[in-house]
Formats: sequence, structure tokens, C-alpha cells
Amino acid sequence: MKNAHIIHYIVLLLILAGGIGAFYYAAPNTDTQFIIGVVTSVAYVLWGFIHHAMNRDLHQKIVVEYVLIGAIAIVLLATVLKH
Amino acid sequence: MSFGMTLYHFFIPHHTNNHRSKALHIDILLVYVLAFAIFNYGLGFVHRQIPDVLGYATDIHVQQLLDDTNAQRAAAGLSPLTLNSELSVAAANKAQDMFAKDYWAHNSPAGQTPWDFISGAGYRYVLAGENLAKNFSTSQAVVDAWMASPSHKANIVKPNYKDIGFAVVNGKINGEDTTLVVQMFGTSVDSLAEASTPSKPPVVIDQAVSTQQAPQVAQAIPTQAPAALASAQQSLGSEFLGVTRTPAINIPTLTRDIVFVFAGVLLGVLAIDAWVVSRRKIVRVAGHNIAHFLFLSAIVILAGMTARGSLL
Repeated sequence: MKNAHIIHYIVLLLILAGGIGAFYYAAPNTDTQFIIGVVTSVAYVLWGFIHHAMNRDLHQKIVVEYVLIGAIAIVLLATVLKH
Repeated sequence: MSFGMTLYHFFIPHHTNNHRSKALHIDILLVYVLAFAIFNYGLGFVHRQIPDVLGYATDIHVQQLLDDTNAQRAAAGLSPLTLNSELSVAAANKAQDMFAKDYWAHNSPAGQTPWDFISGAGYRYVLAGENLAKNFSTSQAVVDAWMASPSHKANIVKPNYKDIGFAVVNGKINGEDTTLVVQMFGTSVDSLAEASTPSKPPVVIDQAVSTQQAPQVAQAIPTQAPAALASAQQSLGSEFLGVTRTPAINIPTLTRDIVFVFAGVLLGVLAIDAWVVSRRKIVRVAGHNIAHFLFLSAIVILAGMTARGSLL
């Protein structure tokens, strides 16, 4: 189980590193950067679902929590990119 | 409940908040999302009502763009470009067309190319190019962004160009307040005739940003005289020579400050919540704070990488 956790977090770090790299590459096209931010957020939410499903503790409350954390990330990026 | 207890309830896991900081409860997370959505909408609304109070600080001028462009050419060992009145008129007409027809592209929806504007302004070119930028805050930021983009940099440091024209103008594209910068490069038939290589045929570039090789012109380009600069500037209305805006509140600064403060507090709450729960060995149904922390940290890094402005 501990090894599985380590692998899950390595996957998460790869997702985030990929998002940061793509975001940097897309500069200064802010529209593309926003899309990359949304895709990274969706990938994170899916990672959370899969991670908790594999741990057999994917409760409805946790699903909503990951969706809201992803939504917060998107509105934060919209705040700095869409103005 | 006292103020101290309210803060404790909001930030520290405790039996009063079901061992999860209230700031991380689902209903509060939803409040954050809605608050930022309303803030974003309200910001745009207030900006449209009072742009002089809540707006975008802008300081972009043709003279600064010319100086910065020629400084980049000098750094590359190239001779400076001469500000050309016909190319500047072409750039101004292109900018006006983009606002009138509401597009952000090298070619207009009707199929007009940059070369149509250059020819229409009376500039007989053998070689031409166009760089576009919108919504940057300073002239230096525009040129820096162009230099960071290989295709735009190729235009700026192309040895074959002799002339340059600019237009800096404010308007609306897609309903958004937009500061456009149009930069047009060219080498004219006349300048080619003056050169010592008359046998070479003219080359016409039909791409906005091109790497096509042109005939090398051996003649040195004369340094720009102040009279030529004044003449080029007189061909344009003052509305095309630059945009200066100093609103009381600069929107990019405001939004970045708010995002960083909010994200900093949220990251702090996640860290405290994780530490307290781990220390007290509390078992609860919740997402992983460390995952949220890593993800939101990445979002903060992305927010820190943003800069206003787009190129084409």
C-alpha cells in the first residue's frame, strides 16, 4: 500500500510538472495558458478520484471536495489570465 | 463565540468543526469559487464603467518601440531600421481594420493580407514582414516578448530589412479593451535600386512571419535623421503614436495580489490542518491535504508565470 501511494504521488508530480512545462511553453498566449490550466485541474480531480477509488475510500464528500479544489484553481487562473 | 474562538474554529481542526478546519469545509470551498466568480465579473463591469479608476496601466510609444527594436538589432551587429511614414500608415490602417472588423490575425476575415495594407499605403516592397502584439503594459515588454518568440525575433533581426513602421492604438476587440501594436518591416524597390546589386530579382514574401532568405544588400543603411522621424510621425494621427494610461488601480496588480494572498492563506490552512490531524492521529473522511497542497502550489507557480499580453 505504501509503495502504491508513492507511485500515485509520483504520477501527481508528473501531471503537475507537465502542466507547468506546457504553461511555460504556451507563453505569452494567455488563452492557451488558461486551457492548459483547466486541463491540469481536470487531471488533478481525476487523479484524486482514481487515487481514492483504489484506496476504497472514494466517498461523495471527497468527490465534491476534489471538484471544488479544481474549481478554485480554475477561478484563480481566470482571475490572473482573463483580465 | 468570541472572535478568538471563531478564528480557531475557522483555521484549526477541532471538535467544533468536526476535526476539519472550517476554511476547508465543502460549503466554504464553494463560497470561495462563487466569490471569485462574482469578483471577476464585477471587476470587468466596474472597469467598463470607470476605466480611469480601475484599468490597465499602459505606456507604449512608437519612439520607444523604435529605439528598443534598433537596440536589439545593434546587439545582433545589424544596422538600425529607418522609421518609414508609408509603413507607419500601413500599420495604422491595419490596426484600424482589426478594430473595425473585430479580428486578431495577420489576415483579415475578408482575406486582406498585411501586404495589401503595405502596398495600399504606397510602399513598393521587395521584402516585408509584420509583427503584432496586444495588451502589453510597456514598450520594453512588447519588444522583449517579440525577442522571446523565435518567429517574431526573426523579423526584428533580419539583416535584409531597411525600413520599419509602427502603430500603437487603443480600441475594442471581441468586446475587450485592447491596446494593439502593429510593427511592419520592409525593404523597398527604391532602396534596392540604390544598392549595388541591380541584377538580383525582387523577392516577395507572402507569409506574415517568414524565414525566407532575401538577396543580400551590400549598401550600408544610413543612420536615421531626426527630420525623417518627424516626417514619419507627421503622417500619422497622434492617436497612433502611443498609448499612455495611468489608472488609480492597475487591474493586473490588483488581481495578482488578491490571488497570491488568498492562495497563501489557503496553503497555510492546508498545512496546519494536515499537521494537527497527523499529530492527533485523527481519522476522518476527507481528501488528502498534501495532494491539495502540491496542486495549489503548482497553480501559484502558474499564476506567477503569467504576464499580460499576446503575440501574433
